[in-house]
Amino acid sequence: MAQVDVVEGCRLPVLRKNQENEDEWPLAEILSVKEIPGRKLYYVHYIDFNKRLDEWVTPDRLDMKKLQFPKKEAKTPTKNGLPGSRPSSPEREVRKSLDLNLQTATAPSRGKTLPTPNGTARRLMASQPGRKRKANCGGTDEDSQDSSDGIPSAPRMTGSLVSDRSHDDIVTRMKNIDCIELGRHRLKPWYFSPYPQELTTLPVLYLCEFCLKYLKSLKCLQRHLTKCNLRHPPGNEIYRKGTISFFEIDGRKNKTYSQNLCLLAKCFLDHKTLYYDTDPFLFYVMTEYDSKGFHIVGYFSKEKESTEDYNVACILTLPPYQRRGYGKLLIEFSYELSKVEGKTGTPEKPLSDLGLLSYRSYWSQTILEILMDLKPDNGERPQITINEISEITSVKKEDVISTLQYLNLINYYKGQYILTLSEDIVDGHERAMQKRHLRIDPKCLHFTPKDWSKRGKW
Amino acid sequence: MSKLSFRARALDAAKPLPIYRSRDLPDLKDCVSINRAVPQMPTGMEKEEELEHHLQRAISAQQVFREKKENMVIPVPEAESNITYYDRLYKGELKVPKQLIHIQPLGLDNEQPDYDMDSEDETLLNRLNRKMEIKPLQFETMVDRLEKASANQLVSLPEAKLLLNEDDYLLKSVYDYWVRKRKNCRGPSLIPQIKQEKRDGSTNNDAYVAFRRRTEKMQTRKNRKNDEASYEKMLKLRREFSRTVTILEMIKRREKSKRELLHLTLEVVEKRYLLGDFTGEVLNEVTVPLAEKPVYTAPVTLTNGNRHKAELKTKMHKTGLMHQVSIKDEFPFDCVRPKKKYSKRDKLYTQRRPGRPPSQYTVNKADIKQYDFHSSGEEDYTPPLSPPSEPDEENDPDGLFAFRRKAGCQYLSPHMDQNLGVLWEHPELAGMDALRHRHSLTALSLPSRLVGLGRRRMGRGGRVILDRASSGLDVVLKQLDPDAFASPVSRTRDINRLVAQRASMSSGVSSATAASSFAEILNNIQSLRWHCFRPRPAQHQVNEGSRMGKPSLDGRVTSSLLLNTKNNGSGGITEEQYQDHQQQLAQMQKQQLAQLQQQAATPCSKQSSLLERHNIQIACYSECVSKTLDSASAHFAASAVVSAPPLGHVNNENKPHKTSVNGVLHLSGTSRPPHSATLSHSGAGISGRVSSSGIGGPLLPTHSSSSLQSLPNHRNHVSAVSPAHHHHSAQPSAPSPSALKLATVATTLDHVPKVTPASTISNLARENHEPERLLNGISETTMAMEVT
Repeated sequence: MAQVDVVEGCRLPVLRKNQENEDEWPLAEILSVKEIPGRKLYYVHYIDFNKRLDEWVTPDRLDMKKLQFPKKEAKTPTKNGLPGSRPSSPEREVRKSLDLNLQTATAPSRGKTLPTPNGTARRLMASQPGRKRKANCGGTDEDSQDSSDGIPSAPRMTGSLVSDRSHDDIVTRMKNIDCIELGRHRLKPWYFSPYPQELTTLPVLYLCEFCLKYLKSLKCLQRHLTKCNLRHPPGNEIYRKGTISFFEIDGRKNKTYSQNLCLLAKCFLDHKTLYYDTDPFLFYVMTEYDSKGFHIVGYFSKEKESTEDYNVACILTLPPYQRRGYGKLLIEFSYELSKVEGKTGTPEKPLSDLGLLSYRSYWSQTILEILMDLKPDNGERPQITINEISEITSVKKEDVISTLQYLNLINYYKGQYILTLSEDIVDGHERAMQKRHLRIDPKCLHFTPKDWSKRGKW
Repeated sequence: MSKLSFRARALDAAKPLPIYRSRDLPDLKDCVSINRAVPQMPTGMEKEEELEHHLQRAISAQQVFREKKENMVIPVPEAESNITYYDRLYKGELKVPKQLIHIQPLGLDNEQPDYDMDSEDETLLNRLNRKMEIKPLQFETMVDRLEKASANQLVSLPEAKLLLNEDDYLLKSVYDYWVRKRKNCRGPSLIPQIKQEKRDGSTNNDAYVAFRRRTEKMQTRKNRKNDEASYEKMLKLRREFSRTVTILEMIKRREKSKRELLHLTLEVVEKRYLLGDFTGEVLNEVTVPLAEKPVYTAPVTLTNGNRHKAELKTKMHKTGLMHQVSIKDEFPFDCVRPKKKYSKRDKLYTQRRPGRPPSQYTVNKADIKQYDFHSSGEEDYTPPLSPPSEPDEENDPDGLFAFRRKAGCQYLSPHMDQNLGVLWEHPELAGMDALRHRHSLTALSLPSRLVGLGRRRMGRGGRVILDRASSGLDVVLKQLDPDAFASPVSRTRDINRLVAQRASMSSGVSSATAASSFAEILNNIQSLRWHCFRPRPAQHQVNEGSRMGKPSLDGRVTSSLLLNTKNNGSGGITEEQYQDHQQQLAQMQKQQLAQLQQQAATPCSKQSSLLERHNIQIACYSECVSKTLDSASAHFAASAVVSAPPLGHVNNENKPHKTSVNGVLHLSGTSRPPHSATLSHSGAGISGRVSSSGIGGPLLPTHSSSSLQSLPNHRNHVSAVSPAHHHHSAQPSAPSPSALKLATVATTLDHVPKVTPASTISNLARENHEPERLLNGISETTMAMEVT
């Protein structure tokens, strides 16, 4: 049943198994079609499902009866013959509009193309709209002005994440690596990662477990291991308790490792951008020790200097270690660092779904821990300010408030705001804390914050 | 309740919030849950994703159950952890270190090839291995180099040859294989690499280009000041490094020339040996013209040190003025005279111009400056006086060592017969009369006997050389009991160390009456008209020793001298300091002299019995030891070693006073001027030490009255004196192997103080001890060299 009609942009129900291994027919969008000897394969994105579940499906999984053809205003980016990339340039915009004969509102004849203090070169390299994560950050710098009138510009140079997906092209929307072998594990990547293109066709990409170098074959990995004597991330160990260690790696000093780590992380972080170098970041790699060495479990990166109080840029627990408390451990560690620095911090936005859940969970438990530990003072009802919570936990004030809201703790009672701890909240917290075995012990942290403003940052 | 009343107050983060348990608030349901006044916080997620099915399901599940439910979690692609070959792949075990792991900022990554061999390569390797051995790493290195050299276009075969430096066949095979493989390669390189950005901006939207440089908005403004400071520091560092390099380069050069010199010296000696030039005549003939233009070792100059130049200028400037005055500034001894001149002249003096006092040697300030230049970083140091040195060299071949009259000295006209030259060249003087005029009776303490007529003269390197003259009286003289002269000895003991200068020696000749018969000789001796040398009895020496042995004083002197040197090094030197320094040096010389005298007495007397012939052995001796040393300090070190061993010690100065038998007996009439040059016979070591430290004859009289003092330690001595030694000049001579070694040692000793302060290379200081060890080691073997 050759479906000539099924092209990119078509929507139709596609069969997939849910967690209970039941058949479901969620609506999906065809992102790409490829022909391998004998049959056609379709790359589908399930609508309202995360991209990490996108996959190549055989035609028999398509429900052709309910096929919808793409509307005129195709939301999905269209392949236009150009190797697209996330930060598309104005030229690309122009060409796209020519190619597709689309009446775009973002004509380059806008006033913003006038030379700016940064010069036309910058304008030509300019980024696309919406590179800003924060829409409300005030429009003081150019990028936000750009985003306001839709002139693309290069991604901003701080931060590590991009939020606006509307200009995602087909290349970055699709996973490009089938499988990664890392130490004992085989990982199925969730998202695109810019590993060298010639390696993307391999059935398995091999990584050195310790230096994260990418290799095309097991033989190469074998050879590499005769030369690579790393048995831990190439940085200073700043924390160790039990088998858990943290290593600090400077993105400027250890570029190779930082880049390899970013490439790996990109496989599991949708919004991570690798547009710029790793210089302004520090990488905190969490490892678990066994007799073979210090195995990477997860990591988070952190800007050496953040203008927006970010204490985490990207954060990832590798899939084999997920849902075992490591993510919360990473988050806890990041706040311990902030405590040493004497600052409050917040993760860089946007959060992923898993990130949001993890952070909410961490914030909830941290705040509830404090609230429930408060004892009545001289028969008076215990009380605390939001600022105090923020200071104790290093969680930024806004995150404290949002957590209190989320937990529905804030009530207005007799003319003042109060915090109310309901039974199920208390019970739920106690149950959760019983399951939370992995904790960071601040005594095991050997960390001295550096004042990066006085150093060459990048 | 109006809504306004709720809105009136926003949530105040600074305001305390009372905490209620819900059971404490039965009326909570009545109380409106107000979140309106609190702005709804964004989740931080993207709007689209926020609505995703699995997330919403998970959030609601959490809201409901307050904990995770297994089937409500967000599904993710699977991961497996069952790689069975893991243990085979990652070999070896790692023990967890006790300490936190700390990596070195500049890791010693031994450069490993980035290229990793694949199975295809392995096939080739197996094929190649049938013909030759090639290791995988070697292959990888080759490919790695080829790859990295082929940034824009493939390396050609000739280029590859240059690049790889491998066996031709291997290279060709690997190269061909590589070219083929690269053509089939789908990537831009056989080493998979992240795509690099291109400068033209064409890669701005390439998804596979990653890690672009942040070219804009570099934060330099903040750090500008800091940058400047560190830039300056870097500049300074660079300058200092280059300076170090220069110094090391210089040292290298110097050491090379030294080695060359030694080789040349060796060659000359071999040639001389072949020629049978044991007396040095041929050498003299050949080298006299050379001597006109003395070799002057240029001081080591640092390219970046401008002080030295400045000093040279001042020197030139002052030359005219200072010429006359300079005599005052000169030391009566010299630590720095060029060796070449020295030995030659010494011979000439003895043989052709015996009437002339031994040349004066001067420590000129230039030399001190040289030392100082090396030792100190002070740039504006100018010595108070600068005696002339180099400018004179052309006109005055004697240079520094030219005879200069010294105030307070009596200079007598030379004796004509002594001007005639060496004895054997003038057979007409071979008669007894001549002998009597030029030789005195000489006795040895061990074996205790008279050896006949002899004379003492200063040899090269300051050695005292005993010339024996054969005469018809020899047989009779040998039968004489040396103790027969004991009583006069005791009377004249106080002046027995007075080694008179030659000028006064010659004057004494006239008073010696002619004696042709044995009776007359005896008579002469009895009446103290004929000088007789005889080693002093031991007991006198003990007294002497107790009188003079004050090591502590010596230590003080030495150390104060060192201190002074240091002062010179660190800051400007005042004239006073300079004079002090000179005095101290002089005092030290005295001490050395005394010490040497004692030490040398024994070997001298022991071995003088071997004197069977005229002069020849002496020449041998000096050839063996002193001539080989190419610098003053070499002499110094050598003589220190050479003279000490017979007494069984080098560094320890306490015992020698007892063991050393004695110095020299000088039988001289109280009424008569000393006749010592021709008649006396003293320990070889004395003048060895004397001349090694550059003490000329005229100085000696002043020594005679001073009490003898010994230095506690040769090492101190060496390091204290050697700073002044700078001129290394070539002297062809015949080194024995051990002498060669000695010379090396001595010159090494010489460097140490010179180099160390300047280059601040601390490990050079180690040499200080090394030569010491060597010296001690050599001491046993050097005994044999003590021929005289």
